[in-house]
Amino acid sequence: MIHADLLEGLAQEEAERILTLGNRMVLTSGAELFHLGDAAECIYLVIRGRLRLTLPMRVRSNPQDVLVEERSGGQTVGWSALTPPYQFTLTATAAVETEVIKFPREVLKSHLAAHPDTGYTVSMNLSRVIGQRLQLFQAMWLREIQRMVELRCA
Amino acid sequence: MEMLLMGACLSVFGLAVACLAFGAATRDPKEATVAAPAVQKEKVKGAAVPARFFADPPPLPMAAYSQVPIEALLLQIENHVRLEHAAAECFLASPNASLLHSRTISTLVN
Repeated sequence: MIHADLLEGLAQEEAERILTLGNRMVLTSGAELFHLGDAAECIYLVIRGRLRLTLPMRVRSNPQDVLVEERSGGQTVGWSALTPPYQFTLTATAAVETEVIKFPREVLKSHLAAHPDTGYTVSMNLSRVIGQRLQLFQAMWLREIQRMVELRCA
Repeated sequence: MEMLLMGACLSVFGLAVACLAFGAATRDPKEATVAAPAVQKEKVKGAAVPARFFADPPPLPMAAYSQVPIEALLLQIENHVRLEHAAAECFLASPNASLLHSRTISTLVN
């Protein structure tokens, strides 16, 4: 049984039913799963390997993709596919050979609409994933502000 | 495979640190005299503190970072992001002000 953050709290058979809605994909090392600004039609569950989530940054006047986060087995990537305006806000690239399950938004939405209890559990799990990321980046942002204050206002 | 990649990353990071140290050690003294006042201030501050073997090395002047190859700089940024991520996770596991502002060993901010 695959451990997945999005499927926590579901009965095993229901979790397995959801997994069958997706298609497995294997990404070679360095392959891009999605790009910043792309239309987000699918959400992905990492089965094995590691995905690098990056954002562009100017380093010495050159645009570079800089690591923001990493995602590994059991973690969900691409929740932009479930929240408007359905556009990816990061670029995801495989750091090593990585296997994911790809869930098209419409397929997942119609299954969850037909099974409201499952829909509720998955929505709560999604809220937790988004909330954790928000809290994490809030803390990281405040640490940078603190350093800026120390540098400029000391 | 991951161990190998981690080993490779650590080697490159070690090389970057060695490049930084070498760059700082071999910098032309004339360059140092025309450096920005902020850099001179840092140097004066460093000289006032007696050197200690086990103490943290003094921070590198910002000018030294311009000598670091861009690949090494990107690795430093990655390392910094991972350390900041870990520090933020520690804070979220047990939220308190001291953990929120705990120091890391990131070379970008030390």
